[in-house]
Amino acid sequence: MNEMSKNENIDIQIYNFAYLDENTKRMIRRALLKALCIPGYQVPFSSREMPMPYGWGTGGIQVTSACLIPKDVLKVIDQGADDTTNAVSIRKFFQKTANVAVTEKTSDASLIQTRHRIPETKLKEKQILVYQVPIPEPLRFLEPRETETRKMHALSEYGLMYVKLYEDIAKHGHIETAYAYPVKTNGNYVTDPSPIPKFDNPKMNNSPAIQLFGAGREQRIYAIPPYTNVKSLDFEDYPFEAMKANFKCSICGSSDSYLDEIIVSDDGKRSYICSDTDYCKEQTKLNSKKEDQL
Amino acid sequence: MENYPFSENSINSSIAFRSLLNATSYPGRSFQINKLNKPSVLSNAAAIILITLCDNESNVYLSKEYNTEEVRNWLIFNTGAISSNKKNADFVIGTWKSLLPLNEFKIGVPEYPERSATLIIEESKYKKVKCNIDGPGIKNKLHIELPNPELFIENNNLYPLGLDFYFTNDLEILSIPRSTKINIIKTEH
Repeated sequence: MNEMSKNENIDIQIYNFAYLDENTKRMIRRALLKALCIPGYQVPFSSREMPMPYGWGTGGIQVTSACLIPKDVLKVIDQGADDTTNAVSIRKFFQKTANVAVTEKTSDASLIQTRHRIPETKLKEKQILVYQVPIPEPLRFLEPRETETRKMHALSEYGLMYVKLYEDIAKHGHIETAYAYPVKTNGNYVTDPSPIPKFDNPKMNNSPAIQLFGAGREQRIYAIPPYTNVKSLDFEDYPFEAMKANFKCSICGSSDSYLDEIIVSDDGKRSYICSDTDYCKEQTKLNSKKEDQL
Repeated sequence: MENYPFSENSINSSIAFRSLLNATSYPGRSFQINKLNKPSVLSNAAAIILITLCDNESNVYLSKEYNTEEVRNWLIFNTGAISSNKKNADFVIGTWKSLLPLNEFKIGVPEYPERSATLIIEESKYKKVKCNIDGPGIKNKLHIELPNPELFIENNNLYPLGLDFYFTNDLEILSIPRSTKINIIKTEH
């Protein structure tokens, strides 16, 4: 019996706080601070192998791991939802390795790790939003060579990106890019906002919260400090437009939140629901309160 | 255990880093840091920056007042950091006067602007000039006092290259990264 309780103790302390070792955290922390000093610039870092496959947020959890403190309240979302596999497993991971409190409420969270969405609820000062990023380089599909894209950033040579957006207009009559829509950060670097829908782009601008981006496979960290100008690229005659499906959520009735399209029957009947599950729950609660008052 | 700067290394370094992260995110605002075991000449805040960020890949330049055996031993024992000259330093520690001129420190290169020095300015016994600051991390223009603000304006003109500053005072840190724009407030005589 005594032997067993000893082992259990070992089991609890088997990880350093928040999983990563102190030296790795130092390296990531240095990269994070330089990233904040140079908004939108991608700082290389020696990404570690994490206990999950690339593409599941290895960059995001390394950033979260380097930032977590014991009194943090952690929220993890995947496409806006708290209850999908990726979100659940990352949340459990930090409950186990850092023993932090977790929440689904955006306003209660001090650190939010996200895959591909920004919460609908306005973020506050000192809240940290950690993005999981698959391809941090916005120019990568236009120019495959890292040596070249690095030069292009150094010279602010972004003509190629404008040509791509122009070609969209020439082909489709409007800018077709609907997610990972490129932004210019602090008037300097063109930055990939990670594959968030362009509906979310305006939320990055002048946000009071700290936005950190981690790309594990591509070994890059970048950041957008609070109150920073973030402008979606566009043309004078084709201004940027945040877009969403023109429907109401069939659960809470909200018409101002980003919607997911779901197929609800075998003959292809469609329905739309909020992508942000926490926002949807809040709206539903507000609605039932209103009904009670009537 | 007494030799370790933090009583619980992993937890305390995370708390220290959060203060640094906040300070860097919100330039011009003071953030509190916790206490640690450190050499007597160093402030708590400066010691915490070194302990939290430096390892055996970091070049540290100590200005004359801080280049003592006590500081060197403490730094090498706890971080393994390399003692460096001005030109190669990643982290620089000193009083404002002793670090001038600033143009010997590295400011990064256009392809790698992050390869630049972080300057930790100890003591606040410099001639203070009233300034307004603006830029990323600053909601409304902030009112602060800086030494030789013209040097910070010069540094900001180098953006995205340049130096990043932390002002340390006992248990407080305040950051002025290269992205911060400075306006000198003209006083009438």
